[in-house]
Amino acid sequence: MRISTANAYDAGIDALTRRQSDLSDLQAQMTSGKRVSKASDDPAAAARAERALASISRTETSQRAVDASKVVMTQTESSLGTAGDLLQSARELMVSAGNATYKDTDRVSIAAQLKSIRDQLFTVANQSDGAGTYLFGGQGATQKPFVDAPGGVQYAATGGQTRTEAGTNLPLTSDGQASWLSARTGNGVFVASAAPGVANATIDSGIVSDPSALTGADYSLNFTVAGGVTTYAVLKNGLPTAVTAAPYVSGQSIAVDGMTVAVSGAPASGDQFQIAPSTPTLSVFATLDKAITGLQSPGRTGSQIAQANADNLRDVDSVMGNLQTARAAAGAVLNRIDNESSRLDTQKLASTTERSNAEDVDMVHAISDFQNKQSGYDAALKSYAMVQRLSLFQYVNGG
Amino acid sequence: MSISSLLSIGSRAMTASYAQLTVTGNNIANANTVGYSRQNAELETAFSQQTGSGFFGKGVNVATVTRAHSDFLTREAATTSSIAASDGARSAQLQQMENVFQTGESGLGYSAQLMFNAFVDVANKPQDSSARQTALARVGDLADRFSTASGQLDSLQTGVTDQLRTSVASINSLTTQIANLNRQIANVKGTGHDPNSLLDQRDTAIGNLSQFVQVTTIASADGTVGVFLGGGQKLVLGGDATTLAAVPDAFDPSKLQLGITEGGATRAFPDGFIAGGSVSGLLRFQNHDLADARGLLGQLASAITGQLNNQQALGLDLGTPASAGAPLLSIGAPAVLPSSNNAMAGGVPVASYVNGSGVRVSSVSITTVDGKSLQPSDYELTADPSLPAGQYKLTRLADGTTSTVANGAVVDGFRIDIASPAPAASDRFLLEPVSTSTRNMVRALDDPKGIAAASPVAATTNVANTGTATIASLAAVSPSINPNLTATVTFTDNLGNYNYRLVDTTGALPTVNGSGAFVAGQPIALNGFELRLNGVPKTADSLVVARTAFPASDNGNANALLGLRDAAIVGQQTLAGGGIAPGMNVTDAYASALGTIGVRVQSGKAAADQSTSIASDAKSAVAAKSGVNLDEEAARLIQYQQSYQAAAKMLQIAQSLFDSLLQIGH
Repeated sequence: MRISTANAYDAGIDALTRRQSDLSDLQAQMTSGKRVSKASDDPAAAARAERALASISRTETSQRAVDASKVVMTQTESSLGTAGDLLQSARELMVSAGNATYKDTDRVSIAAQLKSIRDQLFTVANQSDGAGTYLFGGQGATQKPFVDAPGGVQYAATGGQTRTEAGTNLPLTSDGQASWLSARTGNGVFVASAAPGVANATIDSGIVSDPSALTGADYSLNFTVAGGVTTYAVLKNGLPTAVTAAPYVSGQSIAVDGMTVAVSGAPASGDQFQIAPSTPTLSVFATLDKAITGLQSPGRTGSQIAQANADNLRDVDSVMGNLQTARAAAGAVLNRIDNESSRLDTQKLASTTERSNAEDVDMVHAISDFQNKQSGYDAALKSYAMVQRLSLFQYVNGG
Repeated sequence: MSISSLLSIGSRAMTASYAQLTVTGNNIANANTVGYSRQNAELETAFSQQTGSGFFGKGVNVATVTRAHSDFLTREAATTSSIAASDGARSAQLQQMENVFQTGESGLGYSAQLMFNAFVDVANKPQDSSARQTALARVGDLADRFSTASGQLDSLQTGVTDQLRTSVASINSLTTQIANLNRQIANVKGTGHDPNSLLDQRDTAIGNLSQFVQVTTIASADGTVGVFLGGGQKLVLGGDATTLAAVPDAFDPSKLQLGITEGGATRAFPDGFIAGGSVSGLLRFQNHDLADARGLLGQLASAITGQLNNQQALGLDLGTPASAGAPLLSIGAPAVLPSSNNAMAGGVPVASYVNGSGVRVSSVSITTVDGKSLQPSDYELTADPSLPAGQYKLTRLADGTTSTVANGAVVDGFRIDIASPAPAASDRFLLEPVSTSTRNMVRALDDPKGIAAASPVAATTNVANTGTATIASLAAVSPSINPNLTATVTFTDNLGNYNYRLVDTTGALPTVNGSGAFVAGQPIALNGFELRLNGVPKTADSLVVARTAFPASDNGNANALLGLRDAAIVGQQTLAGGGIAPGMNVTDAYASALGTIGVRVQSGKAAADQSTSIASDAKSAVAAKSGVNLDEEAARLIQYQQSYQAAAKMLQIAQSLFDSLLQIGH
């Protein structure tokens, strides 16, 4: 085949240009570390890298949500700890208030101490995270969530929790209504209380003796003293029951539909004790307020003091237990946050690896390719130079 | 037999050798001339002289000068280079277009992710205006990216238009040149010798023309060549050239099509009329690749904007009083482009009317009704005369599927409205539901307080509940939600059956009672909200969904806005059987667009490489046939020089023979 000289030069130059451009592409890949810098370099890998990148950015986003929750929950946990300590002090004061040698003035001074604890608790309940979010703000509060209102402390927010996005679903606030205002009254199942006017008898908080026999009805124990004999009748929802005139023995337990209570002391004729189902309405502040009011009222009988004291201790235990539960829940959330963080780290690492696998240069391959192409280019240059030196004119010059 | 015959043979031989040396010299001189074919002086034996002792040769004649040429190879080279030019032009444009679809952190997909993700900070601190500001900045950034991308596509279109104009000018100049050459060649045809340089020039001109449009050539007896476009349209016939024109597209005047001017009227060639040449590559890029890219981009922008604005409208902002969120993004409205060939009456299109603002508008209009069902395509609506009145043929241009529609039809997420006066028979309209959306995409909200982070309703479970059910999520899903309705759901057994009660707190509406059954994983849908529960409810458990009392610190809608990043909001399709093929989330949609464009660029590049290599082979074959090899010419030079020297020697001998004769006389 005839070789056209001009075409041979053109073809040679073309080939050299192509090799040079290949080499430069490869060098660009090695410099940037990216095998895929445009979608057309490897469309499937580019799409894979794109998804991996989205996954990286979403784990980072989730991590921000987790961090936000962590800040709040750490503070919540510690606030609930403080609240527990304060209630513990309150409990000790209440126990000491039961001291039979104390006079009204002593009790008033204990009431003052309780008052100060109550105020501290109120501050704790209204604590914010320092950036406008109330720790116990529930599903929203623009003002402090707990307000002093006539009739006691009210929850001026919506119950429930503000939560992070569905992927992490962690709390950003905690439900102040549930933790501060919703302990169960009484012993958790029923509330045994003395009606106003009972002066010389007390009722204990009672126990459940047979859970299957519980009815959920309201009962009252009505005492009658006739001829030195004290008897009682049990009324259910205001209606008489089979028990109409049972003999009363101080301290002996009285069983009513699966519940057992004990009345002690000397009930007067017409004295009434009530047994009602427990409700989740016991407030930390109401408990303390009631104790304070009680301690401040002068001239109560020993039985009244004892009854009030027993009730207060029962209630304070209940609200403490409720706050403990909330604290445990916060602790569990913190635990979950740690797990979530480490899961997100793992996921981010996996996505980063995926992205790198999809679009990064395998350096070993790239260097080997580069050397290969380099020697190819070198050979092309040398042979071009050698071939182009050959010309018949050089040999016929002398002729 | 005389001495003069020897002298004559010698001088003829010298002339012939000199001619050969001249031709060789010309070859050497033109070794690097583009389009030059190697020439050869053809020699023939001069007619012999008959004598009594037989036939004596009378030397050599120069018959003619021929060029080394093969019609077949030349045609082949022109055709292959034409295809290479087409592939090359398209590939170059595609590579430009690929810059619009960037990968990684500089890509649109990442920008959309960042935008959605920015709502996490709003959700974490709904009342924090810096988080809101950041989210707004991200929204603005996304809008900018989209409109920049749209601008890039516009400038590609401008580039294509410019190239088409100059190409058409070059084509017309080349066809005129070919026609002139045809005339000159025909004029010298009678001499009996080929006008080699004119033929070379014409071949070169045809080759150059092939770079722009693929042509077929037919030689005629008078030496002229007829040049025709792919479909048989004549370009050059004898000494006459037809003028091509760059004609504005019937629908969209910002596009150009190749056409022809005949009898004062211009007529555009149909799509795909030209097979090769850079013009065909450019047209293919303009009519298909660019349109598809606009579709993909527009679909993404419309879907994001539609869903984001819908969700925003379902929430409450930080205003006093809190109100439904105003749109976050605004995009260009869907467009209808009537064909310029549509029927006219009184100087205005039949299918148009003057609207309330005094502007003449087309009778056909479209409105987006469901952003997530939009497809990445333009549509053509034709008033096909074969269909009954009021029925129109709709073609989805991306895949060519056709359907029959009437006024008010909802197709792929947009509604077609055909007002009176109705389009005349055979009128055509180009519908652009998405292509125009990115052009004017801007952030529509400037006040950070305007982000609707709060859900209009909030759910609370009763603290006395004995079951484990907690609120997993509560989302407003319909604009029909009435926040004044307080919904109380009370479970009546342990199986999830519940009674509900909707009470209007304003007292305007009667109380509604009803019942339903909760199934794990399924939402409880009432009053335009969807409530999802975790855990198991028990008998007498209850929960309340009521107006959000404190919108400032509620993050329900911010979480919903964030959740859009995972929602299938792009390209939902209604299948032929009525089923629904779910769409993709934004990341997948962008990754898939990236893949589509990437594959196109890749295959465009591969096609260009391949056809360039074929063209270069064909060019080599022509060069092998017609090109000048300097070594060969050097050898010929020596050969002819020696012939010349031998002929001169012959004269010398003849002279000495003559001298010898003269000496006899002395």
